[in-house]
Amino acid sequence: MEENLMLSNYGVTLHRLTHDKIEMLRQWRNDPKIQQYMFYKEYITPEMQERWFASLDPHCDYYYIIEYKGKEVGCVNIRAIDWETKTGEPGIFIYDDDCLNSDVGARANLCLKDFIWNELKLETLTIEVVRTNKRALKINRALGYHEIPLQPGDPEDKVRMIMTREDALKPNKLFDRLRKIFNQ
Amino acid sequence: MELNDFVAHFAEQFEDTDTTNFTGETDFRDNDEWSSLIGLSIIAMVDEVYDVVLKGDDIKNSKIIKDVYDIVCSRL
Repeated sequence: MEENLMLSNYGVTLHRLTHDKIEMLRQWRNDPKIQQYMFYKEYITPEMQERWFASLDPHCDYYYIIEYKGKEVGCVNIRAIDWETKTGEPGIFIYDDDCLNSDVGARANLCLKDFIWNELKLETLTIEVVRTNKRALKINRALGYHEIPLQPGDPEDKVRMIMTREDALKPNKLFDRLRKIFNQ
Repeated sequence: MELNDFVAHFAEQFEDTDTTNFTGETDFRDNDEWSSLIGLSIIAMVDEVYDVVLKGDDIKNSKIIKDVYDIVCSRL
């Protein structure tokens, strides 16, 4: 995983996930405060984490540890990229309590989105959100995502959302202003 | 800058909360709607209306609306 090892903008640095960080990530991911908003809620063992990391395709799965003010605070990713359709599935969680409900998630989100639209040049992003995660639904709508119908077999508690490059290029009063503020 | 005007701008960032009783002494997290999105909206509002840059830590370290107002006043 030697491509795009580090992305830095808006006051955050994103470090591409390396093997020495997967145990920290596993512990974050198993914490109930994170697990409650994930569709996969089973405990993740070290072996499962090793298998997951080995399964990542460096050209299709980009996982980053978010560093803010010198501290590792969460994880952001674009995964399952289909290069034929130019689609991918982004995700983010903030683990550090000092950064929860702060501007750090937005900073990391904007940093990753620039990479997605300008470097990877994807056309469509799809996300799945747990319906009870009202905050995530609201912020994703504000970012420009909109809901699409569930697919057969989807659980009732899932919300599917999509954002196209066209959506992303539309003026966004809030996030266009935040881009400017975060770089001051 | 008047505190009442600031409270009104602050309250505009909420959509689902009854903000009619908001004052400078209101604990702005003491409602079901508070989220990072509202915090971001406040940062953007302060930049747009008052031309003052707030950091996430400014919001984090504030408890009541007047705490945020005082920070903005100190940077005008």
